[in-house]
Amino acid sequence: MTPLLVSTLGIIAVFGLYLATISGRQAQQASDFVDGGQALPPWVVIFAGAGIALASLGLADHLALLATFGLQYNQVAVGLIVVALCAALTQKRIWLAARLTDLRTLGDLLGDYFGSTTLRIFMLVVLFLFSIPFAAMCLAQAGALVGAASGADVPPGLAIWAIAFALFVSSVIGGWRGIAYVVAAQSLLVIVLVMFFGGFTGFTVEKLAFAAGGIWTSAGILPDKIPGVIQFTAGIGKAPPIGGIWTAFAGLTFALSLAGIAISPGFSFLGITSKPHRAFAFSQVWMIAGVTAGALMLVGPVLAAEIASGESLTAFMSRLATIDQMAGVGFAVLLVGSALIAIAFFAGSGACVCTIELTSRYLVPGMDPRTIRFAARVALAAVYAAVAVIASYAPLSATIFSSLTLSLSVQLLPAVLGLCWVRWISRSGVLTGLIVGTLFVVFTESFGLILFERLFVELPWGRWPLSMHSAGWGLIANFAACLLVSLFTRSDAGRDRRDRLHEAFEESEPARLGSPAATTAKWSLTLLWAFFALGPGAILGNTFFSEPIFAGTVVAPGVPSLLIWQVLFWFVGIFIVWWLAYRGRLSVIDDLPRCRIKLVPDPNPLFEPITTPWIARLLNRVTGR
Amino acid sequence: MTPLGKNDALDRHALVMACWLAAALPAAILFDYGFGQGGAPYLFCGFAAVLTGFVAHVIVNAVYATGFSPRELGLGLIIYGAGLIAFVMTSLVSAPFAAHNFMPLSVGFIVTGAVVIFYLITRFGARQAFEGFDAIRDFRSGERDRSRSTGARE
Repeated sequence: MTPLLVSTLGIIAVFGLYLATISGRQAQQASDFVDGGQALPPWVVIFAGAGIALASLGLADHLALLATFGLQYNQVAVGLIVVALCAALTQKRIWLAARLTDLRTLGDLLGDYFGSTTLRIFMLVVLFLFSIPFAAMCLAQAGALVGAASGADVPPGLAIWAIAFALFVSSVIGGWRGIAYVVAAQSLLVIVLVMFFGGFTGFTVEKLAFAAGGIWTSAGILPDKIPGVIQFTAGIGKAPPIGGIWTAFAGLTFALSLAGIAISPGFSFLGITSKPHRAFAFSQVWMIAGVTAGALMLVGPVLAAEIASGESLTAFMSRLATIDQMAGVGFAVLLVGSALIAIAFFAGSGACVCTIELTSRYLVPGMDPRTIRFAARVALAAVYAAVAVIASYAPLSATIFSSLTLSLSVQLLPAVLGLCWVRWISRSGVLTGLIVGTLFVVFTESFGLILFERLFVELPWGRWPLSMHSAGWGLIANFAACLLVSLFTRSDAGRDRRDRLHEAFEESEPARLGSPAATTAKWSLTLLWAFFALGPGAILGNTFFSEPIFAGTVVAPGVPSLLIWQVLFWFVGIFIVWWLAYRGRLSVIDDLPRCRIKLVPDPNPLFEPITTPWIARLLNRVTGR
Repeated sequence: MTPLGKNDALDRHALVMACWLAAALPAAILFDYGFGQGGAPYLFCGFAAVLTGFVAHVIVNAVYATGFSPRELGLGLIIYGAGLIAFVMTSLVSAPFAAHNFMPLSVGFIVTGAVVIFYLITRFGARQAFEGFDAIRDFRSGERDRSRSTGARE
């Protein structure tokens, strides 16, 4: 299967190179290299959005976890609807704010809106986590998959460097537009392949394991039930929950962490640099909440059952290859392709955003467009080199660091909600919330626990205590601190600036949620959905369709009750996202903004330093020697 | 139909390529399995995957308000022709292949051709669709133009 696999991956690499070349050739200005001329086509947002959501989960990891924990982990697929909901709430307003203020990244927007350099630095930290450790983890995984699929004919190290080189060449030729094309095309391929392998496995594999006996999990793990609403245990590594770690609270808080994808620096950069009309709405409703969540929810268990019955992902790949070599190759391409989306997108967006936010702003201000393009290429080279080195030599560190990525990204939610909707959320509130939330995340994730326990003493809790994901711990503390501090500082010095942006929102694209009753209905329905689909109410799904409450008897619906529950709330979830995105106009852009506003007036160099004082002092120390 | 701007043409081309990539890999798997253990149903599914790619291409054309470019038409005809020739030659050379695959492949090729013709007729009408492939008429009109241009020079 090795020659066929290498040829197929080679064709995909050449395809990416071709897209990058035609895009690079037609770039009108050198400055378009970093932002695609802020005119990416709608189809890129539509497909890439869904692909990135899927790739951020890690398809290979998702299938392996589904095979280990059964349908309790399938709640994560329902959680993708939270990504769509969060995108519906924020994506259009971020795009609008960028057009109103002529800023190009979320970091710049938040920094100027709240007047905070700390927020810019936090955004850069999150960007760094996405573009280096997270991408490195995906690259290491892709290398391992190619190595396993080729029976070690292609060593994982070689695969890692070959993949990194191919993606780097595409990115450095095509710029941001080229990267976006490649990511969108691969996303479409991966989504089609997920659905294809659901059908293909169903028709070609004899005695489908899912139909025969469900997912065979190891002893002590409930294969088709959620193991309780919450379990009062110390956490993974100390006292793992009984029956599996995916309690209702674990599912809910993990879904909240997925919202970190929608407000990540890269994902928001994709939205800002596009020229959508209805693309945001289509992407959120039909692609993320509809196709991606549905494909994972329905196809995932079928594939996971086969993987569980054959012990491993590689064994299933070999089994497919014995049925048909090309099918084995296709499955390997599906898994590797999903990793490639994450690597290309997060490394590429990381380099572009870094060029705009760090290089152009602080390191070498006043660059001309050609120099900016050169700087972006240098950034791409540095990012890809770092990613490949870490993936080759420190994959475990990459995994530990990347466990923080989504949880820290979602800590920006209060800040982004402030930018988009809630003008009284103040800078002090956001910063306090971020500090508290970050501490909670770090000390409920493996990174903080390992570091603290190695340096000081053993902590009494493990990872995800009380079966709650670190993002959940962080968000509870973050929101509590942010709202409390904002209550007392809501009329601080920055209020004028915040009001200016929100008034411009009202002038350009006012929210149209309908009458107060309709607005209440929309948000109540959303909360009810969250309660029953992901929250404590999801526990009802364990037996709701197999042991109906009022019938007093046991029925055999043919599939586990929990799966029916999940599918039911998937449909309801799509309806809610549609209602908000289309009917509520949260994601439909009717008109381009006609006015421009300046959040921060140009500094007068006679009276105000152009660079933030402490950064200027730091730079002086380095450059003055 | 208005000609597309530079960026729009690039966007359309990239989307068309993405659609064909997504259709081609499942089609290749289905054909490969169909020629082996799978048999006729999988060969039909392979053709269905190719037709899905074609339908996606038509949808892209509709979204961008364009038609097929001459290069796309040429490439499509070459691939279809090459596939057809390969099928006929293999059927003539290998009796087991013909016995196993002749019916599904010929049905597949006929249906693919029929779908393309159906699209052309519904898109352009019967007359225009025929004129698009009327090589003799093109040849004659070319001859007429040449004689006219030489006359003008004289």
